Amino acid sequence: MARTDNVLETRALTHCYGRKRALDSLTLAIPRAGIHAIVGANGAGKSTLFRVVLGFQAPDAGESMLLGSPSHHLTPALRGRVGYVNDAHTLPAWLRLKSLIAMQRSLYPRWDEAVLSRVLGYFAVSRSARVRELSRGERAGFSLAIALARQPDLLILDEPTLGLDVVAKRAFMEALIHSAQAEDATIIYCSHQMDEIERLADTLIILERGRLANYSAPDDFTERVRLWIADMPFKGPDPASIPGLLQARRLDGLFHYLVLDQGDGFGDWLKAAGALSIRQQRVNLDQAVSAFLSAGHATPN
Amino acid sequence: MSRVAPLAIVLAPGGPRPIVRQIADQIRLAITTGELGHGARLPSVRALAGQLLVNSNTVARAYSDLASEGWLQGQHGQGMFVAGQQGRLSQTERRRRLDEAVGAFVATIVEVDLPPSIALAAVTAALQDLDARRVA
Repeated sequence: MARTDNVLETRALTHCYGRKRALDSLTLAIPRAGIHAIVGANGAGKSTLFRVVLGFQAPDAGESMLLGSPSHHLTPALRGRVGYVNDAHTLPAWLRLKSLIAMQRSLYPRWDEAVLSRVLGYFAVSRSARVRELSRGERAGFSLAIALARQPDLLILDEPTLGLDVVAKRAFMEALIHSAQAEDATIIYCSHQMDEIERLADTLIILERGRLANYSAPDDFTERVRLWIADMPFKGPDPASIPGLLQARRLDGLFHYLVLDQGDGFGDWLKAAGALSIRQQRVNLDQAVSAFLSAGHATPN
Repeated sequence: MSRVAPLAIVLAPGGPRPIVRQIADQIRLAITTGELGHGARLPSVRALAGQLLVNSNTVARAYSDLASEGWLQGQHGQGMFVAGQQGRLSQTERRRRLDEAVGAFVATIVEVDLPPSIALAAVTAALQDLDARRVA
């Protein structure tokens, strides 16, 4: 694989647990800079992808690179340039924050005290507190502050706002937005919170059963999905015959079709199928993604 | 350097309207009503992103869309300013947008089933209201 400016790159990456393919010939390239959101149903392969890319797990087949180096060959120095925060926010409970900070400062040569102070400022935590005294949101904030103060080239956040209250969530987003601007780090962000993704993400990456199902700006993805509501006589057309169908529902005798990549021509198709009256409307990111993930057969592009 | 004009924007994330368009629409409206006058300086991309809690690339995109439509003018190293009236939209573009708006309006109003005179009166009143808000 040629050296590129991608922070993360995989080619035909495959990994199985028994007969289940967690990664199925996944080819993905995430460029430097920006915030990239990865979305997928549980079991779509996100965690396996991170384990393989970070070199904690060898894939069955394919290649993966992190910051331009093969994942199975990462030096400690290179690992030091990658931050990882997950929803567990695991930190030694008995330590005071200032001791933890001092330890981190000595371990990471690029440590930036100003970044630490700024991010901690969003969360109003006292440095003399012990980790076990922090609330869930404060712990999340502290984990993020440490991760950002290390000045990583790449920061991977695995559902960082899971279970946080509105105040902590807002502080987290504010800190992230500011960091994406100021520190020029690349952020890869796993979440199920579509309202956050809509605000934060440059790129929406959808994984589905170990495969790449979407790679575009969130708005461009939303634009591909439309809701059509039609009054159809009798049972309506066979769902298998409906082009681009993601989801079909019948409410009050009307058919609600969520379809992918169908232009206005879909209205003509419905008329030809006997529709008496038709409406179409845009959907939001949340509806678009959930319809997309719930459709078993979705194979775009 | 001129001071930054305060800009009030309310976002409705989770709606079908992309955030970039919500931002652009509200700035256009603020310019139209005179809330942002000719030459007013807009917040920096970074500041507005922080204010609205959105990715700064989204704000940058809204600004550049408005600049290419002629509503805003970038001044090198100084930020974005409200442009003068001239060159905002071409004659054909105005005509196209008017047709589009009328088409959407008529499509909606047909269902309401009211005499055209009532619909016209309502539109006239709304436009006069907008005119009244506009600072000459």
